[in-house]
Amino acid sequence: MNSLGITLAIVGAVCSALFAGIGSAKAVGLVGEAAAGVVSVDPSKFSKVLILQLLPGTQGLYGLLIAILLLSRVGVLGGNAVDLTTAQGLMFLAASLPMAVVGYFSAMAQGKAAVAGVGITAKKPEHNGKGIIMAAMVETYAILALLVSILLIYNIAI
Amino acid sequence: MSTIKYANAVAAVKAMENTLLTRNDMEQFINATSKAEINSLISAKKGGESISSENVWEMIHEYAPDSKELEILLYKNDFHNLKAVLKSIISGRSPEQYYIRPTNLDLIHLFENISAKDYDSLPEFIRDTAGQAYRLIVDTSDGQLTDSFIDSATLKAMQKSASEFGSEFMKKYANLITVCCDIKTAYRLSKMKKQKNFLETAICGSSELDKDSLIRETLNGTESLMNFLESSSYGEAVRLLNESPAQFEKWCDDVIMELAETARMKSFGTEPLIAYYIASEAEEKNMRIIMVCREFGADKETITERMRKLYV
Repeated sequence: MNSLGITLAIVGAVCSALFAGIGSAKAVGLVGEAAAGVVSVDPSKFSKVLILQLLPGTQGLYGLLIAILLLSRVGVLGGNAVDLTTAQGLMFLAASLPMAVVGYFSAMAQGKAAVAGVGITAKKPEHNGKGIIMAAMVETYAILALLVSILLIYNIAI
Repeated sequence: MSTIKYANAVAAVKAMENTLLTRNDMEQFINATSKAEINSLISAKKGGESISSENVWEMIHEYAPDSKELEILLYKNDFHNLKAVLKSIISGRSPEQYYIRPTNLDLIHLFENISAKDYDSLPEFIRDTAGQAYRLIVDTSDGQLTDSFIDSATLKAMQKSASEFGSEFMKKYANLITVCCDIKTAYRLSKMKKQKNFLETAICGSSELDKDSLIRETLNGTESLMNFLESSSYGEAVRLLNESPAQFEKWCDDVIMELAETARMKSFGTEPLIAYYIASEAEEKNMRIIMVCREFGADKETITERMRKLYV
């Protein structure tokens, strides 16, 4: 059995869950700081800023999804790991990278946009929806990366 | 990390900006029939809180306790308090009523340290100035010279702090304050026909208005100084100074507010905090203008003319 191939695939799954998760954790924390600042002055805005805080958390979920799909595809989850060649292992590693890299950076960018949205909510709560839409736009790129990673994982011949 | 600093403090400040006074509020104060009516309007707008930059500073300091960059905002008060201490030591009177708050200094220690000539215990930004100012007032007994020396040292400390800890915004802030103060000082001293030694102590100088040129033109007389200043990038403001020093003062406050407005859209960093403090100072100043003008029976038009730009 070529253990390097399956190792590379597992590294891919780890990267996907790890970097997207780190990005989301940092971003959700950042928006949480801003949200707490607003709530400390006006507690009635809690529910409005909470939605903004949740937005950059999705990348972490996408990263987890890719990790599960990848591990399932290579048989690690079922306990029957496929005997992958080094080239196949590298392909699975590459397949995880869109979600790992874009997940991290889009979470951070979305966090910053959501903080700006918290600012809108603080000053003009009636325009809270606009802040949510602006932050949600960043999600597009995380979804695109998720799609690419899924397509790659299911189309690598093993 | 520096680009995402103070998210918590900035968001809180943005929530508090809703309680800042607007132009409409100011008009209501101007049109109010009595002081009691003004007070009730303020109370309604501020939710029972009074207009006080001291309260605003406490709040900002609570949210961003470690920010060295923000200390620059209080340098004017700190150095004023140094003047108060020196004068109280010389005159033997209590300095308490002359203190301005908020301040970065522990005022009890400031008085004790200067009385004991223990300058090393003072914060670094004021340490040298305190020692030199004390010697100056003792050696010359010239209060005006000592005040001018401390004013110039305030500007130098602001520039130093802005270049050490500050952002571009802070550097612009320190530079604008320096330019405005230098123009006012040079104009006043040219009228008083002060000697070169005095000018060298009183004028700070900046990257935009060089100290040596300012001193040279001031020594040549008011007309020469005004010609020099009019050819600088502050020509328009200097023409206002020619018309009335009060108009120039208003221009200086407004230009600082315009700088503060550039920070309004930012979600991170100290700029929105600084801008909020500047806004609270402008609010306080406007209220003082309204109260004083009403006291002296100024008409509504005059009061409106003197109103400083507001942040919201």
